[in-house]
This record gives sequence, C-alpha cells and structure tokens, in this order.
Amino acid sequence: MPQVSKRVHTGVPGLDEMLNGGLLPCTANLVEGAPGCGKTTLGMQFIYHGALEGEPGLILTFEQFPQQYYRDAASFGWDFRALEKQGLLKVVMSSPEVAQADLEQFNGKITRLVHRMQAKRILVENISYFERMSRDPIELRALLYSFLNALKREGLVTLLTRETYVLLGDEAAEDADQTNLSFLADSYILLRYVEIESAIRRAIIVLKMRGSAHDKRIRQFDIGSQGMVVQDPFRGREGIMSGNPRQMAESFIKAFIRR
Amino acid sequence: MNELTFRVYIGDMDPELLTFLKRYVDSFTKVDLLRFFHNNPHTIDTVENIAHYAGRDQETVQRELTQLATRGLLEETQLGQMVVYALADNSQLRKQLAAFVAASNDPQFRIRLIYYLVKGGHF
Repeated sequence: MPQVSKRVHTGVPGLDEMLNGGLLPCTANLVEGAPGCGKTTLGMQFIYHGALEGEPGLILTFEQFPQQYYRDAASFGWDFRALEKQGLLKVVMSSPEVAQADLEQFNGKITRLVHRMQAKRILVENISYFERMSRDPIELRALLYSFLNALKREGLVTLLTRETYVLLGDEAAEDADQTNLSFLADSYILLRYVEIESAIRRAIIVLKMRGSAHDKRIRQFDIGSQGMVVQDPFRGREGIMSGNPRQMAESFIKAFIRR
Repeated sequence: MNELTFRVYIGDMDPELLTFLKRYVDSFTKVDLLRFFHNNPHTIDTVENIAHYAGRDQETVQRELTQLATRGLLEETQLGQMVVYALADNSQLRKQLAAFVAASNDPQFRIRLIYYLVKGGHF
C-alpha cells in the first residue's frame, strides 16, 4: 500500500479541509491575490501555526521590514518577537538576487540559518520581485525553478505570495505578460475580492494541488481578530472569480429566456 | 577636549558603551546603519538595496558598510558578482549593538552622541 504523506497544516480554519488535510511536505505553494486581500495574513498564520506545532519557520521578505510583521502579527495576538527569542522564527530581509545566489552557494547564510533553527516552513514575500531579475520569461522561469528547488532541497514547505494588480474583474489579461508561476508551484491558491450586493467580500479557491485531491468550490473567507477563517462556499451565485458575481437564476434567465 | 567638556559629555557613560562608540560609531550614517541592522538582524543584501532600505545615498553607505565590515561588526561576502553585507554572527557584538541602540533612545545619550559625532568621532 503506498505511503500517505503527512500533511502540513496551514492553521487557517477551513483551508486545510480545502487542501484535503493540508499542504504536502517539501512543496512550493503559491498564494496569489490583490493588495490587502489577505496573502500576508495567510502566510503569517501558516508560520505561526507551524511554530506552535514545533515546526520552526522563516519569513524571507523582499518587501516589508521585519517590524511590520511583528506589528501585524501582534494585531492577531501572535507574538513573533517571542517566537524569535525561542528560535522558532526568523525574519530574513533580502532581495531576490541575493537570496537566489545565497541558496545556490554551498552552506550559504540562509541555508545555515535553516539548518541551525531546523526550519520546516518558509514564507517568501513577495515573489513578484523576482520579475525584476529578467525580462525574458524563459530565463525568469528557470531562475524561479532553481530557487524553489533549493528550498525543497532544504526540506521546506514553502508558501509564496504574489501580488496581482487588479482588485476586481478578470486578471488574466492584465497579467498575461508576466510569468505564470502557477506552472512551477505545487499548489495554487487564489484570493479575490468580490462584490456582492454593494459590499466587498473575500473569496478563496484552490485552483491546483499537485499530487492531491482538493476542494474545487469557491469559498468566502474573513479576516478577524484571530486571523483568517475560511467559511462556506458561495451559494446560488456564479461568476465569483470575475469579481462581480450574479445570482444563478438571473444568469439562467439571461442565458435561456431572454434570447 | 578639556576636562570639563569631557565630564559634561561623557559623564558617567557605561565604559562598554564608550568602547563600542569609539570602535564602531563615527558618523550619523553609521548610527542609521547600526540601528537598521539591529532592527533587521537577518538582513543579507547588497549596498544598493541596503542604501534603499536606509534611505541614504549609495556611495556613503558603501563607504560606511566597508568600514563596519573591516571593524568586524558586519560580514562582507562575495556572492557571485555581488558583495553582500550581514550582521556578524557574534552574540557578544550583537549584545553590545543592542545596548547601543537602547541607549540611543535616551535623549541624554543622544545629545552626547550628536556632540561626539559633530566633533568628528573623537573624545
């Protein structure tokens, strides 16, 4: 009987069920979404939960200063400074070029840190910064492939965030000229804003999960005082990922009766 | 510096702090960089990026980082074609740096520090 891989829990209520129990070990997992929709919260929750489970984690940031993580985490009651003191968390600030070159080196600084703290998880923020390393999509893909493999080599479960630039609507056209990282990632989670009855809500979908079944429904999620919580699927609506969903009955009428 | 000025500006400064000051701190940019590395102790980056983070000009930051590396507070590493800087992996030095940053939050110490730097980094 084939061995079933132990799942890595994200710590986000509802998300692990969507992921059929959690992320798979030694995988690179992409979380994509518009600014402010919850990518960093999800990532911090993943790291925090890991630390609570005795799985030390690293945050590799190309963008935010470590203090911003401490402050943002504290607003959810997660004491990142205490975790740092306990050796369960380190926030490494660097740039894609340096991180890439360091990981390629034998016993580079990041690798040494991973070994020393016996890190099991890493949050990489924000992978969009890799796009400045090359305008050639083939070269960029090769660079990212090598970067992700280096993290897997170290036995890490990686959560990568990537920013999309459109708040609502179809982002495919906007991002068509950028490297589609979803091909390289083992799983692909999309966070979106959606407008329902003149209010903005948040939606999450697992679009891909290599080597595992997963929930294919679009669910609502909320960010509250304890972090992110995934809720029930949207019901009776379609076109959720367009950012502007319609009642299904309305679509039915439009599609069949008004012709 | 005469005895009176020395007493006014040095006063009862912790001898370890004074030694740290004399060894590593001789410019305002260095103060910024020391605070930056204390607050972001796992930074590994190039001069260009550190200058961006610190909001200082690259040429000055290059000179100051090189000096801090020569004095042992930072590690300078050749990564392919890049030279990168990180805080030295020395717990004693990190404690001294933390003490310096904590002291520099004290207005009295800051006055002494400014005087010291204006005087060219010499007591």
